[in-house]
Amino acid sequence: MKRLALLLLSLVTCFSFVFGDTKSAETNSTKIVMSDELKAKYKLKPHHEHLAFDCIDCHANQGDDPSKFKNIKDEGCLSCHGTKKLLAQRLKFMDTLKANPHNSVHDGPTLYCDECHFEHKPSINMCSECHEHEVPQWMGVTP
Amino acid sequence: MKISKKLLALIVVISGIVGFFVVLPVHYVLEETSTDRFCGVCHEMDPMVISYQKDIHAGSGAIGVKAKCVDCHLPHDNLAKYVYQKAVNGIVEGYIHFFGDPDSINWVANLKNKEHYVFDNGCMSCHTNILDTTASSQQAQKMHAHYVKLQGSDKELKCVSCHVGVGHAHDMRNQLEYWKPSYKIYENKMLEQKIKSKQEFFKDEYEPTKQEREFLEKNVKKPANSH
Repeated sequence: MKRLALLLLSLVTCFSFVFGDTKSAETNSTKIVMSDELKAKYKLKPHHEHLAFDCIDCHANQGDDPSKFKNIKDEGCLSCHGTKKLLAQRLKFMDTLKANPHNSVHDGPTLYCDECHFEHKPSINMCSECHEHEVPQWMGVTP
Repeated sequence: MKISKKLLALIVVISGIVGFFVVLPVHYVLEETSTDRFCGVCHEMDPMVISYQKDIHAGSGAIGVKAKCVDCHLPHDNLAKYVYQKAVNGIVEGYIHFFGDPDSINWVANLKNKEHYVFDNGCMSCHTNILDTTASSQQAQKMHAHYVKLQGSDKELKCVSCHVGVGHAHDMRNQLEYWKPSYKIYENKMLEQKIKSKQEFFKDEYEPTKQEREFLEKNVKKPANSH
């Protein structure tokens, strides 16, 4: 009887290990086949495409179904792009006319990245909402 | 003909001495033409040298290690290649400086060619263990693994593909804009910043151009007029 119980217990343990592994494989999959259809649907920015990024380079631990991927938020962008202050520093010359989009008179270096920049669709320029005519004189197209 | 041992020894010694005196000046010339001071002799390089001086690669770090321009901007995998590339650059850049029109170069647009101007083997000759180390952040390790994975493929990356502002403190674009603004509306402000940048960098040796002198004179008069 005791032996049977021990055998059952070890079997259950084995199953739970196997089951556990499958589960973690599901949430951490690295095998998303990038079909042409997917590529067209979730276009990358040219600079990110140049870096040959796969979905999971940004959408880490989000499973393997691209339709269920979530926004990676500021934290995701800044994991490569440093800090908002650094991004503001890179366009410091625009501070001279207070036109630095990353350090504007209205918001300083506090805006959310996705108020202007989108990865899978064209970006917008939030400054244009009020400064439509000035923006082309101040800066180029939002990457 | 049999060469005596004494003659052979003499030939070896003399060749050694001659070789030494040939190598010595070459080494000296290579060294002397590799400093940021030398590269900055051509004033079109001012924005690059000024932004470099603000970077940790200019020796401001706690350890004080200083990378020279050539440490990043020349190949380091082969001495012959290094010398060849240095000679080619010297001739081409010298020609443009003396006979071409360096003012017409669109440096801001050229920033997109960074992958051609920075050599990974230069980076790795100092950061020797960067691809294997576990001391860097998890994100860095992940991205460096991505770099390794792509080596040898047609999508091969360079260090500067990601490390865009490296060596120039993310300030090169700003300095280039001060020198030659991309947008007309900034022109006056950029000239002011250019003068400020040059004054900070050259200190007592600052020599204003005609345009800068006119701007400075106008600005000295301004406060007097406003009273």
